[in-house]
Amino acid sequence: MEKSTEKAESKIPYHKIFIEQAPTTIVMLDKNMHCIAASQRWIKEYNLQGVEIVGSSYYDLFPKISKSSKEVHQKCLTEGVNTTDEASFMNKSGKVKWLHWEIFPWFISEGEVGGLFINTIDITPQKENELKKERTEDIFAQTKEVARLGTWEISLTDNKVYWSKITREIHEIQDEYTPSLEEAINFFEEKYSRPRLSAHIQDAIEKKISFDLNFELITAKGNRRWVRVIGKPEIIDGQFKSVVGLVQDISDVTFSKLELNKAHAQLRSIFNSNHNVIFSTGESGFIDHFNKGAERLLGYSAEEMIGKKTPADFLPLEEVKKFKYDVATLIGKSPANFNHYSDITYEELSDTREWNYIRKDGTSVPVQATVSNLRNDEGINIGFTVVATDISRLKKIERRLVIKNERLNYAEQLTKISNWRYKPYTGETFHSKNLLRILEIENSSTMLTFEDFLSYIHPEDRESVVTHNEESVVNKEFKNYTHRIITAKGNIKIINNIGEVVLNTEGNVVELIGTAQDVTELKMAEKKFKGLLESAPDAMVIINSSGYIQLTNKQTEHLFQFTSEELLDQPVSKIIPQEILPLSKKNISSFFNGSKVKQLGITEPLFGIRKTGQKIPVQINMAPLQTEEGTLVSLAVRDITKQKAAQRKIIKAKENLEILAKTLTDKNQQLADFTHITSHNLRAPVSNLNSLLDIYKTTDSKILRESLFDKFEMVINHLTTTLNTLVETLKIKSEHNEDDIADIKFKQVLHRTEEILAGEILKSGARITADFSECQVIRYHTIYLKSIFLNLISNAIKYRSEERTLELEIKSMTVNGKIMLQFKDNGLGIDLEKHGNKLFGLNKVFHRHPEAKGVGLFLTKSQVEAMGGTITATSQVDVGTTFTINFN
Amino acid sequence: MSKTPKICIIDDDYIYRYTVVKKMENMRLDAKTLDFEDGEEALNYITDHLDSDTELPDVIFLDIDMPVMDGFQFLKEFDKIRHQLKKKISIYMISSSLDPIDIDRAKRANEICDYFVKPIKTEQLELVFTQLKAS
Repeated sequence: MEKSTEKAESKIPYHKIFIEQAPTTIVMLDKNMHCIAASQRWIKEYNLQGVEIVGSSYYDLFPKISKSSKEVHQKCLTEGVNTTDEASFMNKSGKVKWLHWEIFPWFISEGEVGGLFINTIDITPQKENELKKERTEDIFAQTKEVARLGTWEISLTDNKVYWSKITREIHEIQDEYTPSLEEAINFFEEKYSRPRLSAHIQDAIEKKISFDLNFELITAKGNRRWVRVIGKPEIIDGQFKSVVGLVQDISDVTFSKLELNKAHAQLRSIFNSNHNVIFSTGESGFIDHFNKGAERLLGYSAEEMIGKKTPADFLPLEEVKKFKYDVATLIGKSPANFNHYSDITYEELSDTREWNYIRKDGTSVPVQATVSNLRNDEGINIGFTVVATDISRLKKIERRLVIKNERLNYAEQLTKISNWRYKPYTGETFHSKNLLRILEIENSSTMLTFEDFLSYIHPEDRESVVTHNEESVVNKEFKNYTHRIITAKGNIKIINNIGEVVLNTEGNVVELIGTAQDVTELKMAEKKFKGLLESAPDAMVIINSSGYIQLTNKQTEHLFQFTSEELLDQPVSKIIPQEILPLSKKNISSFFNGSKVKQLGITEPLFGIRKTGQKIPVQINMAPLQTEEGTLVSLAVRDITKQKAAQRKIIKAKENLEILAKTLTDKNQQLADFTHITSHNLRAPVSNLNSLLDIYKTTDSKILRESLFDKFEMVINHLTTTLNTLVETLKIKSEHNEDDIADIKFKQVLHRTEEILAGEILKSGARITADFSECQVIRYHTIYLKSIFLNLISNAIKYRSEERTLELEIKSMTVNGKIMLQFKDNGLGIDLEKHGNKLFGLNKVFHRHPEAKGVGLFLTKSQVEAMGGTITATSQVDVGTTFTINFN
Repeated sequence: MSKTPKICIIDDDYIYRYTVVKKMENMRLDAKTLDFEDGEEALNYITDHLDSDTELPDVIFLDIDMPVMDGFQFLKEFDKIRHQLKKKISIYMISSSLDPIDIDRAKRANEICDYFVKPIKTEQLELVFTQLKAS
């Protein structure tokens, strides 16, 4: 080039010729962009035939040349380098032309640019292809998006893997991720997909074998999806540079297919099942399928049936008629002459009912069968399929259930309980028959809706029942409640509802179930019980086994001055502080131990406490009360303040009475003594006088009459003596004078007595000893004491033993502050077992002694008792007698 | 009964015994009499003559109130020897006591035939003799 450039100026015309003849589209310009020469092709290309080109400015020829192109040209002129330019323009025919220019300088001398060559290449076809490709790729990309088609490429030169956006999305991995080949393959399911894919890619790389297969992919997030992977080797310009491919998420499709397979398998197993009877008929009505289950149940073989028999051969005529009638009615056609093959056209039929199939052996078996029609593409009925199940066992169970249900009904009738279910979201209700009985609804086949039931609820309770229901659903808890109903017959009843809320696993309310019990009678009984309680005269307190108050009556409020509310659920010790029940004992009934009632506060004092803190004496009758809630205890508490006061009065009166009774007894004894004296000691002489007088009157004998006067004298003397004794006794018993009482020394009295009885003591040789050391002086009735000493000492002498010398011991004693005097002799003694009660009686004589008159001891006793003392005797025959005086 | 009945009077009252004997004489009732001052003396006599038909009395007039052994004590002891007696002895209790306790107690004693209140009356003596003849 440089050589030719050197010779350029001189050789311009040659150049010019050379350029004009050149087969390319070329133009030669000077430094000022004026044309020097142009090839014929150039002139033709630019449609410049007939135009004076040489000497014309390039820019005048192409006025639309852009500024940037001009800069390209200038760059080439100044720097002497090759450049290119490219531009599109529309020609006169409106066609867009794409042109490429190669611009290179020509040199006058070394380093000096003489001008430019501009070689024009029409690249319109290439450009169009390029645009077309771009457009295709664009559409392809969009399609990929929609079809979830991802692209990939394995570059064989550097073993790099390229993933498109969708590919990454299918793998559920972030946009920047670029895997190695191994990493890419590792996304696939390990056992089956990975080795298969690996092998196919290997083949593609090594043997240029394309593949299009489905694999299971496990995404970065661990999700499993099925993908279709297409791979093919790409050969560019005869060189195998990469393997490119597509990946498509086909999970939905694959899973549907799998499901279908499964369903198909299931259907096959159902069809082959021994337990289900499956058969079908074709358009003709003949059986075309008859499974094992059908063979087993009906006893026919498939060969006997298929194409030879119709279901009518083993169906009861009546049931077929009924079926046809029902189907016709259902699809709105006339049941008369209805043909269930030809007359069902577009309707879809699925009828489930009980049939009684007739076996080959003539026996019948109950089944539940679903009859469905088969339709062709036009929807025309082409036969039926029947799936039936032997329900003979179910029937048996059903019969048993019916019996059980009847029993339940009966039990419910007896207990007046009904059971019910209610689904609050669907409003579905179920209830047992007994609810109708409770509601007194005659037609007992109706199933009431919740609204129906509401209409029977007492108007005043209706709102609360609805509220209760709503609250049960909201709170998921059913609180037992009681409401009134007005029955169909207008009776008011009281219903107690017990129930619970059934929840599903998510904790949502499924239904409410429960029982409704007619507790009218119970309530009436409760009312009666309460009425009884209120009318009880005592304060009634019902407590539970832990001692907490459950119920009280008005009287309780009166007695303890607490209101019922203040006492409810309070420990009973609030009003009865003493422990009345062994509350630690679990079993109250064992505490009562069979006995019905326990009384407290009878012998021991028991107190109740008023609200004011005031103590009140009470008596409690306590009894166990058996209830549904267990054993309760009823306490009947009675205020005994008045009784206590009365009791004190009674005790006082009793004490007074006892004193009075004692006095009366004494007086009575004295009276008895007196009666005895009058009846014996006075009547005897009087009757003697009468007898003597009688004899005197009736006799004529003078001698007898005279002798009778002696007798009269004797009786009168006796009578006088007796009367004198009596008078003396009466004197003793009457009130004595204070002047007669004095302090007397025992020793002195003894001395005086010994003086009086000196003769007898001397004659009998009696030895009298005395010991008054313990008590020397007594304040007593002087005359009585002297009389006591005289009587007891003379008695001792009178009834002394002839066999021994009389020894009389006299002793004074103080026992428990009381003065006592003892006379102990060794005389004859008396058999006190025989005579004891008469010892101190008047005129009682126990010895045949001439002086025995039975007066001395009688007087002594009278005197001692008049002074409030007692005299007793102990004696043993032929040993002696001891008299003991308690002066009291 | 042809024999003269024997009547035993047990009483510590001498005048009473005397009047009974005299009354029977006045009524011309033929009887032998035996008298004792108390139950013990009478009992001793009967015990001594258990086998003697002639010595034992047919009738006893028994006083209640007596020293040593009274009428009831006598009855108690008499009951012990009754089965040994050769003959039946009718006992009449005769007392001055109007005390209902005494009367009741006497009437309840099954050993006695009757109870009379002193003084004994003519009709009562006649009854005793009538019953004696009847037996």
